[in-house]
Amino acid sequence: MGKKEEYLKRLSDGVVEMEEDDVAEACQEYLDAGYPAFDGIMGGLVDGMNRASQLYEEEEYFVTDVLLCSDAMYAGLDILRPHLPDEDGETKKKGVIGVVEGDTHDIGKNLVKIMLETAGFEMTDLGRDVPLQKFVDTAEEKNADMICMSTLMTTTMGGMETVIHMLEEAGLREQVKVLIGGGPISQKYADKIGADGYSANAVEAVKLAKRLLNII
Amino acid sequence: MHKQDKMTPMERLNAFMTGQPMDRILAIPVACSMSGRACGMTHKTKRSTAENEAQAQIACYERFGNDLLIAEYGLHGVGMALGSKMSDPEDSVPAILEYALENLADVDKLDPSLLSLEKDEKFRLHLETVKILVEKMGSEIPTGVLISGPFTAVSSVYKTEYLLRATRKDKENLHKLLRFCTDGLKKIYREFVGAGAMILFCDPIASGTIISRKQYLEFVLPYTKELMQEIHDAGGMVCYHICGDTTSIVEDMVESGCDMLSIDNKVDLKRTKERIGDKVPLLGNVDPVEILILGGPKEVELSVKKCIMDAYDSKCGYILASGCDLNGDVPLENLDVFMESARKYGKYPVGPQNWEA
Repeated sequence: MGKKEEYLKRLSDGVVEMEEDDVAEACQEYLDAGYPAFDGIMGGLVDGMNRASQLYEEEEYFVTDVLLCSDAMYAGLDILRPHLPDEDGETKKKGVIGVVEGDTHDIGKNLVKIMLETAGFEMTDLGRDVPLQKFVDTAEEKNADMICMSTLMTTTMGGMETVIHMLEEAGLREQVKVLIGGGPISQKYADKIGADGYSANAVEAVKLAKRLLNII
Repeated sequence: MHKQDKMTPMERLNAFMTGQPMDRILAIPVACSMSGRACGMTHKTKRSTAENEAQAQIACYERFGNDLLIAEYGLHGVGMALGSKMSDPEDSVPAILEYALENLADVDKLDPSLLSLEKDEKFRLHLETVKILVEKMGSEIPTGVLISGPFTAVSSVYKTEYLLRATRKDKENLHKLLRFCTDGLKKIYREFVGAGAMILFCDPIASGTIISRKQYLEFVLPYTKELMQEIHDAGGMVCYHICGDTTSIVEDMVESGCDMLSIDNKVDLKRTKERIGDKVPLLGNVDPVEILILGGPKEVELSVKKCIMDAYDSKCGYILASGCDLNGDVPLENLDVFMESARKYGKYPVGPQNWEA
């Protein structure tokens, strides 16, 4: 294994093992050694996060583990990102994500955002308790390909359907896919309100987004 | 008493606890948050006074003949008393906007007196609800109170995502916060038990969907055992419920010392029945959203039938229930069907003759 591969493995392992400080340190050493930031992100940090999501899918890892892995990944990204060559952001698919109005439970939403960012989507996070119109306005402003909404409460589920109607009224429904998830949400509910897709967890959400946006 | 029943819920519960025959299986669609719908009240109206809250519960009982009245102390009471800021929606359970504790290292600054009856207005309101229900209805139907367990109480004080990180990175202060909330809950439970309520001990944040069994054993079970003991010392009865997938901790939940175990629709009822054996009665688990909110009458009937078929022979007894509290847009007709189906498929003596006709 070459020196660069050793670094990439250290970055990837550091993310999987939730070693936030070591990942940050290794990223700096990696840059100092003259290797490109892009490879460090894709072959190191993102690779580690993908392994973590695989472990989550296999029920080896739980929500806490994924959060701590993502902390390590973001610590590394903070160091490598400023050294990326000028953005080729135009090619990235864009998404707007948030917890619908009336609800503030946001762990699931955060996990989905982490996984989508890891998979290469450019995500705009509107946070929690998001006014419904804001999903539509932001999607239009950012020229987004998809809107991702979540809620844990049955009383706020209806907001998702409202957003779909708002998209229709704004003439944006054809160009924006709508993905939904959260405790009380199901495929049945997605079908009922005319959402494009439902996913039961964050790993599935990435597969769904890729399928809906025709990304291989 | 409901016109289609032959025993009152109180007579039925007493028969259940002593192994005597009864008219039908006990049936508890957990009509708590949404109960105002039975008398045209929004959630805000229902939660505004003890009289309204009691009236909503009585309206449910009059319409459905369900077997338990439930006051809603709720999941966020501890955090609210300590200063967490809540939304105030017209027809939904309030959500937490800001947490009483921003920094876990400040746990020692929390003031336990804020959880006392003197200082906590909402606590007084829900305790008053229980007193009204017990006084007006106590001879006919038991009263319970839906209230948070320790881990969920902590999550109403300190943001869940940080709380999860703290299970690895700041165990010491997290245990301090759990200790603080557990001691507070003991006093709160005691008041409710003293007023005659059964404790519906709900700890959704301890769900297997969110934490691992290892975390449950380290951060939830020890405090839960203490609280169960406290309820028993006060002469109370407790039903233990955790939302979502609790498959990996069923035996641990029983070990807590609870008197009854309630499971959500994500857990296999038949398999759980086999795992808990003769230790505690089992409650569950008609899907609250897919079936009771989004489903039609036929789906409700089939789901109730399947639950009864799967669990009626539970060694320590079975109580038909929804998998979780009912909230939001539940068609009341679905709860009518829930109870009609309980009377049909749960008619004593319960057995295949009820569904093989």
